[in-house]
Amino acid sequence: MRARNRLIETTDTDAINVSPLIDVVFILLIFFIVSATFVTLPGVEVTRPQAVTGKALEKNAVIFALSADNEIKYAGSTVQLEEIPGLVEQASKDKGKPVVIQVDQWADASMLAKMVAQARKKSIDVSIATRKPRA
Amino acid sequence: MRRRLSTEPERTEINVSPLIDLVFILLIFFIVATSFVNEVGITPKHKDTASSSSNLEEPLAFDLPASGQLLQDGMVIGLEQVAPLVRSNTADKAPSVLVRVSPGARAGLATQVMDQAMLAGAQAVKLSPLAQ
Repeated sequence: MRARNRLIETTDTDAINVSPLIDVVFILLIFFIVSATFVTLPGVEVTRPQAVTGKALEKNAVIFALSADNEIKYAGSTVQLEEIPGLVEQASKDKGKPVVIQVDQWADASMLAKMVAQARKKSIDVSIATRKPRA
Repeated sequence: MRRRLSTEPERTEINVSPLIDLVFILLIFFIVATSFVNEVGITPKHKDTASSSSNLEEPLAFDLPASGQLLQDGMVIGLEQVAPLVRSNTADKAPSVLVRVSPGARAGLATQVMDQAMLAGAQAVKLSPLAQ
């Protein structure tokens, strides 16, 4: 009996059973689909100002950047101050996404104030990205 | 003829290899496309001026001129004096703070002033630009 079984197995079903592999891959796939938030990054790296009260911000946000040479960046290109409300509305798609402004600590503060004022026209939640001070 | 007859009753499994290929490609796409943005920051909230009750008392104002100094009521102060000033000025209730910035002031300093004010318990922090 045992000998016969083994004989059949070796001749016919010599492929590896891949069903558990597919199960695992599907679970991974579903995890990444669910966790995927497609945020458009401003495309410029800034030195954030230090702040002790900084809290973790919403991941799914509309992100603007103000570079050290006072250029407003959004999705890799330079935009004007007046374009901000339109861009926020377009990116937020009636879902009321929060706005995050990544500001360089050497940038102009009045420019930052104007950006916050513009963004607040379309979003209630406007945050300024900071970094934790070194302990 | 004989061969087909012998294989047909046993090989009834669906070939899943293309499915696995597709799923792997999707998996790799989502792994690459997922960007875990972990941003920390401050959210200066302020009431809009539509409500008339908020402008009953004058908010505590800090000025940031282009010279890079920090002024409160015309006097130069240090960053570490912001929090005590906010605390002492409105001891009973949630104070509101106004940060007036001139063109040429640093955004880092403005953010740090707001941070210190919020550390001292300020509920409403408004950042307003001054004209030239």
